[in-house]
Amino acid sequence: MRRHLYLLALAIHFYFVVAIAWLDVFSLLIRGVSWFPSSLEKVWSGAGEATAAALGQSLDNSNAIRQTLTTYFHCAGIDGGYGFFAPAVPSGAKLVFELHYADGHVEYELPQVNGHAAGVRLTTLLGYIGTTDYEQLREVMIKMLAYRVWQEHPSAKTIRAVLGSISQPTASEAARGSSESYTFIGAYDFNFQPEPNASPVP
Amino acid sequence: MLRPFPDCLKKFWRAAEEFLFAPSSDVWLSILRVVLGVQIILYCLSLRRDWNEVFASTPQGFLSRDLMEGILNVHSHFVPRLGWLISIGGYLGLSEQRVLGLCWITLLIAGGALLVGLFCRAAAVLAWLLYLAAVKSGSLLTYGVDNMTTIGLFYLALAPLPDRFSIDHKLRAQRTQDRHRLGFFRRVLQLHLCVVYFFGGLLKCLGPGWWNGNSMWRALTRPPFDILPMDFILSARAWLPAIGITVWILELGYPIFIWPRRTRAIWLTSILLMHIGIGLALGLYLFASIMIGLNLAAFGPGLILDRQEIQDAT
Repeated sequence: MRRHLYLLALAIHFYFVVAIAWLDVFSLLIRGVSWFPSSLEKVWSGAGEATAAALGQSLDNSNAIRQTLTTYFHCAGIDGGYGFFAPAVPSGAKLVFELHYADGHVEYELPQVNGHAAGVRLTTLLGYIGTTDYEQLREVMIKMLAYRVWQEHPSAKTIRAVLGSISQPTASEAARGSSESYTFIGAYDFNFQPEPNASPVP
Repeated sequence: MLRPFPDCLKKFWRAAEEFLFAPSSDVWLSILRVVLGVQIILYCLSLRRDWNEVFASTPQGFLSRDLMEGILNVHSHFVPRLGWLISIGGYLGLSEQRVLGLCWITLLIAGGALLVGLFCRAAAVLAWLLYLAAVKSGSLLTYGVDNMTTIGLFYLALAPLPDRFSIDHKLRAQRTQDRHRLGFFRRVLQLHLCVVYFFGGLLKCLGPGWWNGNSMWRALTRPPFDILPMDFILSARAWLPAIGITVWILELGYPIFIWPRRTRAIWLTSILLMHIGIGLALGLYLFASIMIGLNLAAFGPGLILDRQEIQDAT
């Protein structure tokens, strides 16, 4: 009897594991970054929707079944696929802060962390900021990072954050002396100087 | 008329049962426990200078924990997060910074307890919950290592602890004797690794980047993974397509070639070398160490690490 329970649990668990992995595959194919012709994107889209439905992800966000399943996926560490650096290594993003002072001079800062491990995580964050479709969320995140820089340089009058995606040269371009270039995504101006009788809030 | 079908089903059931509940020693569990203990300790130590800033809420934090937990709420309200512990700490009069510090220390101690095998079950559950909470509260700062560590901790928390090399066993003679149950949990880990590599390989071979060397080039030269000198990579660029193809062949072939005894040694060794290469060439040390550890736990015993198991099998 106990073996039956183990097997049932295993079957359900691996159904989720494999379905989520396929969902990852379909989401990639929908983006048209594979060998397959773009005419098949509708097929992948349909397959992705069916897989999402089979995982309860087409239910309303507040639905108890969806909430339970999603909680289980996160707790078991199976909430994402396994396409690390696949099918291509994504372009990174770069965020530069221009610190403008009252006397007119400008300094430049990059987001800073203390250790290499946090640096790798910062790269993930910048990649997310560079690719998210939610402009408001992007601005909020950049504002938080800018505020942290302002705390280090409280005399700066305004901070302009310039976000760009990094375009790496190919190997043959690099052999010819080309280096990485940047594609402008957006610029954001912030003023954290406290108003009279008010404390700065990012 | 219906008899052959149930017979077939019975045969399949018996074969599946034999495969999934194949008896195993607990060496794999010892390896998994030690590997995850080391992994937790390395995770804590690697973030020790950034921990409070990464997980603090506005305005002291690096990126507000409140924002990241808010994004998590879009998916589910019930996933463990550090915000819960900070709220509890608030009721007890503890500041956010103090609670975060306590979480770091507790996670480090749980990692140490796993390493030596003291209070194995409690340490495994505690490490899993705290690690999960930290990862989910910093969801925008996570990458593959966090998924793989969570998977390992999830299985460890459920597995039949303690193992024979743990202090629990030495002090209290606690040890599970059910080799079939041990075998079942080992199979779960093995099967999960097969899924991980199969889909990793499949996704890589679906795009041109892993055939023409472009993805290898981009991985090796993209900050902050650009550890190797550019001149060295340029001088070896003719090899990049072959290395890229080898990577996805190794991954895609993993579920096939890791099972037969004849090919297991070569495949496991190749995969371990690949992860050592990832660790050294890209600086992804934590990712490399968790993947090496999970592979050694899943497929190492019976091959290179457990003579008793080899004798049992032969």
